[in-house]
Amino acid sequence: MYGWIWRHLPGNAWVKALLSLLLVMAVVYVLFNYVFPWAEPLLPFNDVTVDNQ
Amino acid sequence: MRVVVRSVSELCITVGTVIVLFVVYVLFWTGVKADSVMSDQIDRLQEQWAHGAVRPTGEAAGPAESAPTPGPYETDKPFAIMYIPRLGFTWNKPVLEGTATKTLKKGLGHYAATAQLGQKGNFSVAGHRRTYGDPFKDFPRLRPGDAVVLTDGTTWFTYRIDKGPYKTLPTDIEVIDAVPRKSGYTREGRYLTLTTCDPEWGHSHRLIVWAHLDSTQPVEAGKPEALRR
Repeated sequence: MYGWIWRHLPGNAWVKALLSLLLVMAVVYVLFNYVFPWAEPLLPFNDVTVDNQ
Repeated sequence: MRVVVRSVSELCITVGTVIVLFVVYVLFWTGVKADSVMSDQIDRLQEQWAHGAVRPTGEAAGPAESAPTPGPYETDKPFAIMYIPRLGFTWNKPVLEGTATKTLKKGLGHYAATAQLGQKGNFSVAGHRRTYGDPFKDFPRLRPGDAVVLTDGTTWFTYRIDKGPYKTLPTDIEVIDAVPRKSGYTREGRYLTLTTCDPEWGHSHRLIVWAHLDSTQPVEAGKPEALRR
């Protein structure tokens, strides 16, 4: 998977490294802003009330 | 064969990295976010209060200093600041209306069905034990006699803890009754109930403290005794 991405990135090794860094940052951004906020309420730390939820 | 092995190992590494990132998110990032959101809420409240719009109740505009029953709180909006000296001299958190998950991310949540601040009945508030700024992390350190101070911009309300921390089950909704049966109170009064989860990282139980309204004073009279140091 990662090898495939590496081979398909354009430019020389430096450009590829930079582009992969950008890709990693984009993935982390999506995880922190969309995926984790959705997943976190499924954990038990939110149950602090006595009536419901 | 090599392709399969390589793909599986890459997948494992990816999943592991995502899990580590998720732990970082839950333990660290929610706290960072919550701290900034909570201080935003407090800033907003203080700005509102500074502009004289003490309660955004809409219809009840005008000089209503003697109105004993204020209008309903706006869901998901802050309306008070809570101080608990036992949890730290700088410990202060906004109190918002409602106990929805998204509300509790921004501060403490007032059970919408319970009494309003300082009114007859049981003013009940829930807060996170862990994650989202850990507001009630030190909840078990609360002791009878401790002060819980709240302000709504016009009045300081000083509650004194009478009983707790009391461990109970999540289904025990009686603890936020107007006169909670297990609190030892026998007649109607102006009470306060705080709830959070127990154990620290679990959700099998709830921790409760009960307090009664000890004194009130207008904000012009300065900070109440319990907050002076």
